[in-house]
Amino acid sequence: MDTNAKPTAAKRTIGVATPDPVLAVEDLTMYYATRAGDVRAVDGVSFAVQRGESVGLVGESGCGKSSIAMALLKLLPENARLIRGKILLNGADLAPLSDDEMREHRWNHIAMVFQAAMNALNPVYRVGDQIIEALDAHIRSTPEISMERVRELFDLVSLDPGFIPRYPHEYSGGMKQRAGIAMALACEPDLLIADEPTTALDVIVQDRILKELRKVQEALYMSLIYISHDMAVIAEVSHTVGVMYAGRIVEWGETVDVFHRPIHPYTQTLMSAFPSVTGPKHELGMLSGEPPNLLTPPPGCRFHPRCPYATDVCRSEEPPIVRSGSHWAACWHPLDGAAA
Amino acid sequence: MAGYLLRRTVQILLTLFVFLTIVFFLVSAQPGDITRLYSMDPSLPPETRANLQELFGVNEPLWKQYLVHLKNTLTGNFGVSFSLYPRTVGDVILERLPRTLVLFATATVISFYLGFALGKIIAWRRGGWVEYTSTLGGVSLYTVFTPWFGLMMIWLFAFKAGWLPIGKFLDPVVWRDAPTDSNTIFNLMLATVAGVTVVVFAVAVATKKKRLAAAPLLQAGAITVATAAVVGVWLASGVGHLAFDLVKHMILPVATLTLISFAGTMLLTRNSMLEVIREDHVMVARAKGLPEKVVRDKHVARNALLPVVTSFVFSLAFAIDGGVIIESVFSWPGMGQTLVSATVSEDLPLAVGAFVFVGIFVLVAHLAADVLYAYLDPRVRYR
Ligand SMILES: Nc1ncnc2c1ncn2[C@@H]1O[C@H](COP(=O)(O)OP(=O)(O)O)[C@@H](O)[C@H]1O
Ligand code: SF4
Ligand SMILES: [Mg+2]
Repeated sequence: MDTNAKPTAAKRTIGVATPDPVLAVEDLTMYYATRAGDVRAVDGVSFAVQRGESVGLVGESGCGKSSIAMALLKLLPENARLIRGKILLNGADLAPLSDDEMREHRWNHIAMVFQAAMNALNPVYRVGDQIIEALDAHIRSTPEISMERVRELFDLVSLDPGFIPRYPHEYSGGMKQRAGIAMALACEPDLLIADEPTTALDVIVQDRILKELRKVQEALYMSLIYISHDMAVIAEVSHTVGVMYAGRIVEWGETVDVFHRPIHPYTQTLMSAFPSVTGPKHELGMLSGEPPNLLTPPPGCRFHPRCPYATDVCRSEEPPIVRSGSHWAACWHPLDGAAA
Repeated sequence: MAGYLLRRTVQILLTLFVFLTIVFFLVSAQPGDITRLYSMDPSLPPETRANLQELFGVNEPLWKQYLVHLKNTLTGNFGVSFSLYPRTVGDVILERLPRTLVLFATATVISFYLGFALGKIIAWRRGGWVEYTSTLGGVSLYTVFTPWFGLMMIWLFAFKAGWLPIGKFLDPVVWRDAPTDSNTIFNLMLATVAGVTVVVFAVAVATKKKRLAAAPLLQAGAITVATAAVVGVWLASGVGHLAFDLVKHMILPVATLTLISFAGTMLLTRNSMLEVIREDHVMVARAKGLPEKVVRDKHVARNALLPVVTSFVFSLAFAIDGGVIIESVFSWPGMGQTLVSATVSEDLPLAVGAFVFVGIFVLVAHLAADVLYAYLDPRVRYR
């Protein structure tokens, strides 16, 4: 078990005060305005992340994981609107802040590692300078101290310091991602969000980067939100996991519990789609059907068109929150005998 | 970098060779020959006619003439001008090339800077009045009939307002008792500008390398001091009023050339900015908590600059057209006007010489832009 596992972990649920949350998200709702109507990418999401805790967000592509990440930094595209909700960072709400006021929190308190496939580094500047730029934006120091810090960071993510003055195109994919992690750690953020950071990398590099990320997260006692569609990866890095479906969190709890005794049918379906987590291969057939259209999400439980246990009540009424051990889920007919 | 530049240089030399060849065969394809001008004279005895033909070498086979043409061009020997006899073509060009260079360089730099700055702004704040006025104005100027616009500028600022001279290179009244000729002054002015540029650039590079906090202050200081020194020296030199006269004559053609060409850069910059804004590293720059202005200038504009520079290189050749027209409209005695008057007066050596030099000028500008591009894009620089 992780050193981060605190006895209080079991109590972590919607709206319940937790001892030392770095981040508490309450009823976060964000829509994208499109010509066809509002895309309800994040719809009433609540969760908390403790100091030093590693949280995984998992769900099919398009369920709103990246939208949550960007909403936390309030880095929204022009057509996105924060409808309601609170983003409490160390107790202070970020939601009402202006872009200018947000700037001091970005990277300084919440930093992000982007997808490896993204060109997160500016091609015309040296990698070292791009890290120094992030440092300079938040911390007063001299060029010598900044450079020393960059060397430290390169060391931390096992990058050759000889590459500090090199340009991004001279880096391999894995190295770029390490540099991205080093850059994200520059200001020692309270919370690091990693949005599918290894998805585009080959398996061996992916594994190394993952280990690296876990190592620094533990060493710096930093909170981490790790986003992935891959259950196996989440199982490896996260102590706590949130399962997302159609803009909502449908199950939340300690990773071991959630993965061994899922109580939401969707979690179970996901588990069987990634057999490596639990062992022998199951039928993948269960994850059939279209992921929901976020323009007009199904009424009641959003999973009901694909759920083998769906009944009439699922189709008309919002499911209640049910708990079992360390975790909770939103479902009318929870597996494993969880109770509301 | 070295490989890239070497490759580009070789390409440009090849282009130059093709260009020289085309110029030669275009000229040879004209009906009649160079001696026709003289040999049409009925009073000319046939021996003299034959002598002339011998002299000009038009009886030689074409390939031999071609080789002579190549050899002469490469050794800078363009012969003697007919219309400005007995001045050599080289001499005439040496006098006029700097004037064109200055006109062009100034207008190009200003219009590029203006276009880039405006393009940056209208890409960032879309839909504002700045966008509408500059797009409408820019496109109108870009598509306007150049001679008409030049004449309108003269009519407005020289004729109606009387602020600026109507055309030409200098005012003879001012220069009547001048101790030196206009070219000396002009070249001195050129040298001064080059000197100031070098100083300012050196300061900018030095302060940037050291990452000094006071860099902007130092740069502004350097510019101020250099400008003040230059103005002081020119005023004290006793020929300051002559230099001022030349500057006055330059303003209108430079302004016209700038106005008709900045919109190209502006619209390109705007589009390029809108492309780059969508790139991932821009989002990362925002996520890093950088101020909007830094995101815009350092991250978006800096990358948007690359394609703008590339197509700017291609537009250089078209700028020559505008330059020829502008020089004619403003009676600016540069290469463009020389080219036109040499053609009209059938001054073949001068026309060929001017042609070749305009070609070389464009090719050199290309090479300069390539160097600039390589400097701007590390992916090219380190390869
Ligand atoms: N700028 C946008 N405008 C409209 N819809 C968007 C925009 N960005 C994302 N979406 C939609 O929002 C939903 C959630 O997307 P995203 O957060 O990227 O999901 P994930 O990261 O889980 O794959 C998807 O249906 C996507 O199509
Ligand atoms: S609420 Fe009903 S439809 Fe939704 S997951 Fe539970 S059983 Fe399935
Ligand atoms: Mg995503």
